[in-house]
Amino acid sequence: MSFSWQSVYRFLTRAVVGGLLLFSCAGCGSRAEQRADLVIINGAEPESLDPAIVTGQPDIRVAGALFEGLVRNDPHTGAPVPGLAERWEISDDGRLYTFYLRTNAQWSTGEPIMARDVVYSWRRVLSPETASDYAGQLFYIKNAEEFNRGEIKDPSRVGIKAIGPRTVRVELTGPVPFFLDLCTLPTLAVVPEWTIERYGDRWLMARPLPVSGPYELVSWRINDRIRLRKNRRYWDVAHTQNDRVDVLPVGSANTALNLYETGAADIVWDKELAPSELLDVLLKRPDFHTFDYLGTYFIRINVTRKPFDDPRVRRALAMAIDKTRIVEKITRAGEKIATHLTPPGIPHYDPPNGLGYDPETARRLLAEAGYPGGKGFPTFQYMFNAAAGGAAKTHEKIAVELQQMWRQELGIHMELRQAEWKVFLAAQSALDYDLCRSSWVGDYNDPNTFLDLFMSWSGNNRTGWKDPDYDRLLREANSRADPAARATLLQAAEALLVRDAVPVLPLFFYRGISYYDSTKIQGIYPNILDQHPINAVRKVR
Amino acid sequence: MINAPPALTPRQRAWRRFKRNRAAVISGLFLALVVLVVLVGPAICPYSPNALSEAQFQPPNLRHWFGTDVHGRDLLVRVLMGARLSLLVGATGAGVSLVIGVIWGAVAGYLGGRWDSAMMRAVDVLYSLPSVVFVIVLITTLEQLFKNWLSRLVSIESDSTVRLLFLFVGLGAVSWLTMARIVRGQVLSLRTRGFVEASRALGANEVRILWRHILPNMYGIIIVYLVLTVPAVILSESFLSYLGLGIQPPQASLGSLIADGAGQINPIRIYWWLIVMPGGILVAMLLALNFLGDGLRDALDPLAES
Repeated sequence: MSFSWQSVYRFLTRAVVGGLLLFSCAGCGSRAEQRADLVIINGAEPESLDPAIVTGQPDIRVAGALFEGLVRNDPHTGAPVPGLAERWEISDDGRLYTFYLRTNAQWSTGEPIMARDVVYSWRRVLSPETASDYAGQLFYIKNAEEFNRGEIKDPSRVGIKAIGPRTVRVELTGPVPFFLDLCTLPTLAVVPEWTIERYGDRWLMARPLPVSGPYELVSWRINDRIRLRKNRRYWDVAHTQNDRVDVLPVGSANTALNLYETGAADIVWDKELAPSELLDVLLKRPDFHTFDYLGTYFIRINVTRKPFDDPRVRRALAMAIDKTRIVEKITRAGEKIATHLTPPGIPHYDPPNGLGYDPETARRLLAEAGYPGGKGFPTFQYMFNAAAGGAAKTHEKIAVELQQMWRQELGIHMELRQAEWKVFLAAQSALDYDLCRSSWVGDYNDPNTFLDLFMSWSGNNRTGWKDPDYDRLLREANSRADPAARATLLQAAEALLVRDAVPVLPLFFYRGISYYDSTKIQGIYPNILDQHPINAVRKVR
Repeated sequence: MINAPPALTPRQRAWRRFKRNRAAVISGLFLALVVLVVLVGPAICPYSPNALSEAQFQPPNLRHWFGTDVHGRDLLVRVLMGARLSLLVGATGAGVSLVIGVIWGAVAGYLGGRWDSAMMRAVDVLYSLPSVVFVIVLITTLEQLFKNWLSRLVSIESDSTVRLLFLFVGLGAVSWLTMARIVRGQVLSLRTRGFVEASRALGANEVRILWRHILPNMYGIIIVYLVLTVPAVILSESFLSYLGLGIQPPQASLGSLIADGAGQINPIRIYWWLIVMPGGILVAMLLALNFLGDGLRDALDPLAES
């Protein structure tokens, strides 16, 4: 037996079995099932769909389709327009808001939506038991912060009151200029009290699930799809365009592109779902749409761990990053590099410049902190979220770039740790990391949506950094009615954040890319908030 | 007087048979070459496997024989480093499986009776578990514990070292089952032979009988299965790295390089060298190891005398 066919056969069998193992998941999503009218690829699998819990952009898009608040986003501009409230009055000092609910506003199960539902929903977000990361969005309401901290036990002392069956009065701590924008957030959406009280944490599994928004939740299969169906009792049902919508969680840009190209999806609209290697070709196509919006890619530093408790170390890290290389070689969508946190383009605000690329100074700072040439600097970890399917690599590529830059310029050694999205968020909240990638997309068109992240109390702070001066500057700014005086205070706060304390390292400002065939899909309008209500999207046949 | 040809030792006869198997000989030479290149290559190559450069996504050319990747890193030197790691994991994993498998099988076969039944039923139970899934569970649940335990014994510089050790142990720990079965079968038949009886009658203790008389009679078959275990372990490691559970970046193994390349498969444009180069090397290595193993088995099997 000089050449054994048997061995070839055995080898091939092994290779085929191995290959099947490798690719066995390619067919997971393609169960024989009728295609929805509109299929949207939405980014990562939502952490939750509970409006009080969601913070991620993919989660918010879906939660926003299910639950509506008093105010909703205009699909064109993202500006606040009447939602469940048909109108409102604002007192002259800007501290008292009176909302009048629509008489035709009702739950998908038929019960009317009343003022007490609004009061319940907002108190629920503030209740310490809910542990909402976004509770801070309501702290502009009188006594809300104290109630959330547990200093006030009586919920009726919080400045939200039902003064009539369909009238809600809100008392604020100051003339907050962006309060109506806040009211568009899912956090402030109206949720069904009786379902939540009956089913507790598992209330989203209740069927039928009473919803206040344009869509009902039919099913939610993890890592497969979320199926939505038109809510026929929604007050504005006449303008809901599609009967059934599937929202697919896809983390990999190549998977998203493949699904789109083969017609399995109509719209891909998450910021990280266009394969960056192909952008030179793709951006020339008519179905690829780019736009500026309020989104920043940055790195969080856990300042409670050594040696990152030393601001000099953090500044050194910031100044040793060649951000231009990252946007030109890796992300490649024409992003602008960031030295400050607040993206350009917000009216009445000119963000202060932060730390630029200056390896020389970075080395000097590191030496001053006691680590000349990186000597004695401990090995640390950089955490980033791995995309589903293990194929989306932008975060990993940026991580590899940072790893090499810091090793070359500063002589320090960093390890990479990739974590699944939910694990990633949990580790971030628990401050179980050294450095981690992060991004923030503005919830409303005001610098405060970025700057209040790093207030001491904020559930989205997640760096361990606390500075009373910073808190004071922001509080003072938000109590000023004069835009110019307010901007000066906000600039001072941001300068403190990005020049001196540096608990975060901004890398670049996102450039939005969504892809869909605009001859077939209408109703998606570019706006600076990247807000595209699903009920406004129309499929032309 | 009959002019008899000089009698050949069994070893010489095996070597003759092996030399006649062309596929095995070529595979052996190829593997020797690969090992040499993988050990020496990265030192000669002018590029460092992790250094960034401006030359992004260059197709194979005279300066970069295998092209470059997204960070402008030379693919040739990364494939060499990857193959080095894959071979290391394969060899060590096979080594671990050798130690566990031989001891387990020999003890079970030699003691026989209830011991044999219990030990071989344990093997059967482990056989019924999907091994790669088993390693995945092992890595995700026990790695932290292992790390803590290890850091108490020695100071570890990096997590990737821990992961590498874990891969060695984990993959070895699931690959010894076949080896144990084969060794046990051999021991069962050998322990009743005359020379074993004789040494037992002379008062040799059990360990000595196993070590001096039984084991040397099984070298051939053990080597064969050792060589066949190496590609199986390499494939498992590549699979784990493909899933992101194996080697951590910026280190590369063939599996993680292929995963990077596979991420580039799309209908618009494919950077083919990113998947063809590491994939080709992996396939060639696995093929060669399998041929070599089969050739060795045919050569060392005394009944295969034609």
